[in-house]
Amino acid sequence: MKRSKRFEKLEQMPINKDGFAYEWEEVGLVCMESPFDPKPSLKIENGVIVEMDGKERKDFDSLDKFIADYGIDVSYAEEAMAMDSLEIARMLVDIHVPREKIVKICCASSPAKVTEIMNHLNVVEMMMAQMKMRARKRPANQAHATNLDDNPVLLCADAAEEATRGFAELETTCALARYAPLNAIALMLGAQTGRAGTLNQCSMEEATELELGMRGFTSYAETLSVYGTETVLIDGGDTAYSKAFLASAYASRGIKIRFTSGTGSEVLMGSAEGRSMLYLEVRCLFLTKACGVQGIQNGSINAIPLVAALPNGFRAMAAECLIASMLNIEVASGNDTAFTHSDFRRGSKLMMQFMPGTDFVTSGYGGIPNFDNVFAGSNEDCDDYDDWYTLQRDMKVDGGIVPVKEEDALAARNKAARIIQCVFAELGLPEITDEEVEAATYAYSYKDMPPRNKAEDMKAATTMMDKGTNGFDIVRILYENGFEEVAHRLMEMLKQRVIGDYLHTSAIFDEEFRVISAVNDRNDYMGPGTGYRLSDERWARLKEKYSALKPKDI
Amino acid sequence: MTEAINQENAILEVKEWKEALPGQSADEVVIALSPAFGTQLKKSIIEIDLGTILKELCAGIEEEGMKPRFIKVFNSTDLAIIASQGSRLSGSGICVGMQSRGTTVIHQRDLVPLDNLELFPQAPLYDEKIYRKIGRNAAKYAKGENPEPVEILNDYMVPSKYLIKSTLMHFKEGEMMDKSKKAMDMEVVF
Repeated sequence: MKRSKRFEKLEQMPINKDGFAYEWEEVGLVCMESPFDPKPSLKIENGVIVEMDGKERKDFDSLDKFIADYGIDVSYAEEAMAMDSLEIARMLVDIHVPREKIVKICCASSPAKVTEIMNHLNVVEMMMAQMKMRARKRPANQAHATNLDDNPVLLCADAAEEATRGFAELETTCALARYAPLNAIALMLGAQTGRAGTLNQCSMEEATELELGMRGFTSYAETLSVYGTETVLIDGGDTAYSKAFLASAYASRGIKIRFTSGTGSEVLMGSAEGRSMLYLEVRCLFLTKACGVQGIQNGSINAIPLVAALPNGFRAMAAECLIASMLNIEVASGNDTAFTHSDFRRGSKLMMQFMPGTDFVTSGYGGIPNFDNVFAGSNEDCDDYDDWYTLQRDMKVDGGIVPVKEEDALAARNKAARIIQCVFAELGLPEITDEEVEAATYAYSYKDMPPRNKAEDMKAATTMMDKGTNGFDIVRILYENGFEEVAHRLMEMLKQRVIGDYLHTSAIFDEEFRVISAVNDRNDYMGPGTGYRLSDERWARLKEKYSALKPKDI
Repeated sequence: MTEAINQENAILEVKEWKEALPGQSADEVVIALSPAFGTQLKKSIIEIDLGTILKELCAGIEEEGMKPRFIKVFNSTDLAIIASQGSRLSGSGICVGMQSRGTTVIHQRDLVPLDNLELFPQAPLYDEKIYRKIGRNAAKYAKGENPEPVEILNDYMVPSKYLIKSTLMHFKEGEMMDKSKKAMDMEVVF
């Protein structure tokens, strides 16, 4: 065939470098609306669920049983299940129906029922519902800080810049697992240097992650993964009970947590039991509820290239974040994984959570270049800041971060680098030189940093952990070495665990360490003039565009 | 100097030999393979012959004066579980775990399954040279050394290109999984 020049050009476009696939329902390669999903049902005898979604209690697997026994409000289940799914779908977009009413219905429904409600909604209706159902009135955002060399000085400076930009939570991980304690400390120091009250986590293997929290090096955890089929959960060495137990371990130490799930993870792990991705994700959300966990990170996360390869991918991801909110769970709504070569496409995906707002619009905006992102790349990176700010300005939407001046970013970076230099010296960790402090202040990526001896760093990290070093040791070091302000902030973060108020649903801190959560900042959206509206003060910060023309310039 | 291994010579045959028992020899490094490795799947996600990859790993291990030992794990497709089983069977306590797609980890006996010494999660980025370096570092850990880790490679567009293929390859691993079958010592013929 003689080729059309236009079709040839189209083939070369970034979008056509992405992978795409047709649905394969039998193995679960389908986002939603699968003919193999169960039909909704709940039968209750003497307060016990004896049938759920067409399965009798004697046939329940361990996940079904856990959800049926702990995840569903049986006191209202008969009324909720008797309601037409289409009617509930309409209530979601009806401004006269309050959020609480829908939460009550969904918490008393079966997983298949909630899945069925979603099948009635188009994406604009989902966005409308998301705006109303988000648990916390004020939206917020989270950032990733990592680098390929696990360079602690750079990590600390990056965290400080991100906190200055207003991210409510910062997340790191390691390229090399043995770096974990150093990365956790670097992130914590940077977070509190940039903005008081910024929460920080270090995503690691579960025992390590818990220990970092117990030592006082992290203030929340997020990567407690749950799956919607028993096979995958058990293959990962878990049960519903082990997850609930881990959640309690964090709660007992006053550390905030949320679970992680997301459409596509089960089929990616090879066992979807022939169900749609959304149905399995709804099971994860009920499991989260059943474990008593306040929040979830979802929106596909790591499986997004697979979900986005199929029809209905974006719609299913919007649905899963919305369902979390309908179950009154905090949602950190994905947009944290690179999945497409097309800027058009990744921007459109983001808009589905950016415009309505979620508790965390992304569960990891890469505040670093994507090639330095050890989470394998985010949907946004440090080169996108001005796009993000401009979109907030264009739409008068709060995406959770504010523009900063270059000199302010540099000052925060430099201070954080000097602080970690001091902490390393006092803890007897390998030296951080003045040259490294200078490089981290101005760096774009790990390539701008003098290389460190990784083997020595990791050995020192292990020795430090063996010695029992904890958060208080670092507070003391900062206090004794002239960094009183940051010492006070770290101390306050440790105190907050004893107070425990930040374990409430959707909790974050303002700069005065006041908790902002779904309890004291309840989303009361009931149509225009209600819910979250930008204050004049906030809008003045969001519309800042330093390069823009000012009337007085002319 | 190390010589390059000719891909065409690396035709692989992987046969079950006997039930794997904990190794007694401190100079062995276990290479633990996933259920479909070398049987249903012969090439990695970027079409490198799996025989070539194993040869490079072995060459790296032998260059450091240690001995490779092959086992296969059948009761899981999860790389962490595969490698952690391997490390507990390894005389030195060190194991290189591998899935057929090429995803690799260096594991040590006293670590919990999801922990590791070095992880290589982005299989499409690894060429033969990287696998030799992995073998070399595994052997160094087995000797009690603290080597400089193999360089970290990262391409954030890898998942968008390969995740579907990776999922389909993982289905194959799942088909060969047998929950009740114990790890086996394997005979590997190149």
